[in-house]
Amino acid sequence: MHSTDTLRQRATSCPAASADGGCADDQIAGDGYTCRFEQGARPESLILNMGPQHPSTHGVLRVLLELDGEYIVRAEPVLGYLHRMHEKMAEVKNPAQFMPNMGRVDYLHALAWNWAYVGAVEKLAGIEIPERAEWLRVITCELNRITSHLLWWGAYLLDLGAFTPIMYAFDDRERLLDLLQMMTGSRLTYSSFRFGGVYSDASPAFVQGVREFIPHMRSRLPMYTALVTENIILRRRIEEVGVIPPDMVTRYGASGPVARGSGIAYDVRRAEPYSVYDRVDYEIPVRHEQCSMARYMVRMAEIEQSLRIVEQALDQLPEGEHMHPKAPKPSFKLPAGESYFAVEGARGKIGVWIASDGGKTPYRVKLRAPGFSNLALFAECARGTLLADAVAILGSLDMVIPEIDR
Amino acid sequence: MTPGTSLPTPDMLLAPLEPAYMARENPARTGLAWSAFLSADALPRAAALLLEAGWHLEDICGLDVREGLVAVYHFDRMTAPGRLAIHILTDREAPALPSIADIYQGAEWHERETADFYGIAFTGNPNPAPLLLPEGMQGYPLLKDAAARAPLAALLAAPGREAEVLRKADGFNLLEPAEDSKPAKPAKAKAAATGEGTDNA
Repeated sequence: MHSTDTLRQRATSCPAASADGGCADDQIAGDGYTCRFEQGARPESLILNMGPQHPSTHGVLRVLLELDGEYIVRAEPVLGYLHRMHEKMAEVKNPAQFMPNMGRVDYLHALAWNWAYVGAVEKLAGIEIPERAEWLRVITCELNRITSHLLWWGAYLLDLGAFTPIMYAFDDRERLLDLLQMMTGSRLTYSSFRFGGVYSDASPAFVQGVREFIPHMRSRLPMYTALVTENIILRRRIEEVGVIPPDMVTRYGASGPVARGSGIAYDVRRAEPYSVYDRVDYEIPVRHEQCSMARYMVRMAEIEQSLRIVEQALDQLPEGEHMHPKAPKPSFKLPAGESYFAVEGARGKIGVWIASDGGKTPYRVKLRAPGFSNLALFAECARGTLLADAVAILGSLDMVIPEIDR
Repeated sequence: MTPGTSLPTPDMLLAPLEPAYMARENPARTGLAWSAFLSADALPRAAALLLEAGWHLEDICGLDVREGLVAVYHFDRMTAPGRLAIHILTDREAPALPSIADIYQGAEWHERETADFYGIAFTGNPNPAPLLLPEGMQGYPLLKDAAARAPLAALLAAPGREAEVLRKADGFNLLEPAEDSKPAKPAKAKAAATGEGTDNA
């Protein structure tokens, strides 16, 4: 019935397989992906399977590589190991029931996904948000961005062979998780935004804790720079490695620090202003070197900018409700129509598109994950680089595989 | 982009392709700035024009409605933001669209994902293997049972949308309210009996 059935069969049937189901002599028996990834014209090239359990492919990503010596001739990421079909779940649950899923798409910046979904629902249903809740969203989402960047920083250096930095990163991140736990009740898979506000109000202890964290984090950043950023070994490993020209960013729809490391000053908080970001003074860090180091520098600068945003948000935090008095009950029905809401996550542009026919559950929900587009350019970016550099490039893209697979 | 230069709007850009429908949308209501309906044949040319004008592809969303399967391409521009949604209708029995992966390389994965979920074949995709779902899996998880399908107009032409229609070809009726404008209620028992689509249970 469907013409893709033939495509699926083509993908399933292994070209190297013989009639008895085995593979040809020089092919290791495997799944369709391995068998389809045939050796190219060079007889001396080597096919290497990296992942899905490779430590540098955070989460479970698999990459098929064709190598000429140590150089990558061809790379092909294989996805789906963490696929959970969130988009189907969104069609069979009402919006309130689906909220916990938003903590589990990108678990390193879960509050950005919270925001993208509540934003799309609020836009479609015309739900209002009290001003205090807007500021609480900004504060928690930016703190969450810092936790994401800290974890990326530690894990990236771990990939590159530096063990110590992740200890410092987790030390600082832990303080943030304690603070976010006060606001959200969770430490990782947050789902605390509500349609019309946020789940809980900020306690004086939370506000005090965040106030104390800001100077603490600022005092740590020079140490991060001295210990790691200026380290000659790191610089030699990632400078001029993984060059992504601006046209590649456009062709793949990349965003976030990947785009900003290539000189494109694109940030959804500025491009499609939402919430109260227009009432905060902050910069969009941009680098023009286009390499892994540029993306590194963008993320480090973003930690400082997020601290600036949180500081100003605390100063402007008004008294009032954290939930709108007319916020809908959890069982509310979405009106018919469509809405697209985008936010700036730690990895780039997160988009949620909802189409509703006025039924109990949304008719269609699309989750646009920034990591999906950022990783898509890996195959092109890694071509011609050293295998060891592939690890430096993958890490510089800051992938969270559950977000990519959804 | 130098300030003061006026970038061509999507309706100017896509005018040579004679879109069946083109509207300026209210971003405060829908998050879109523009929406268009194109024929499948015009898609690659539209993609080439958009790439040249600096647009990037955000995502491709499949949609199963009464009229057939629809692919929604969301484009945006980094220099002058404003989302454009291009809708393309394809036949339910043999759903096929031309691939734009040779223009927007990032489209390759979006197309493969849409093929996984809806069974739409993207002709010319350089690597038409399943992306997220296992090989050889039967069925397409986001196809709807016949009883659950809504008319396109119920989703995209709901009241309060405030779209300013700039162009509408003769005979374009996809966004006209259907005779029974009430949304179809999912009838689970009935759908299971017909065995169509996927099992929601």
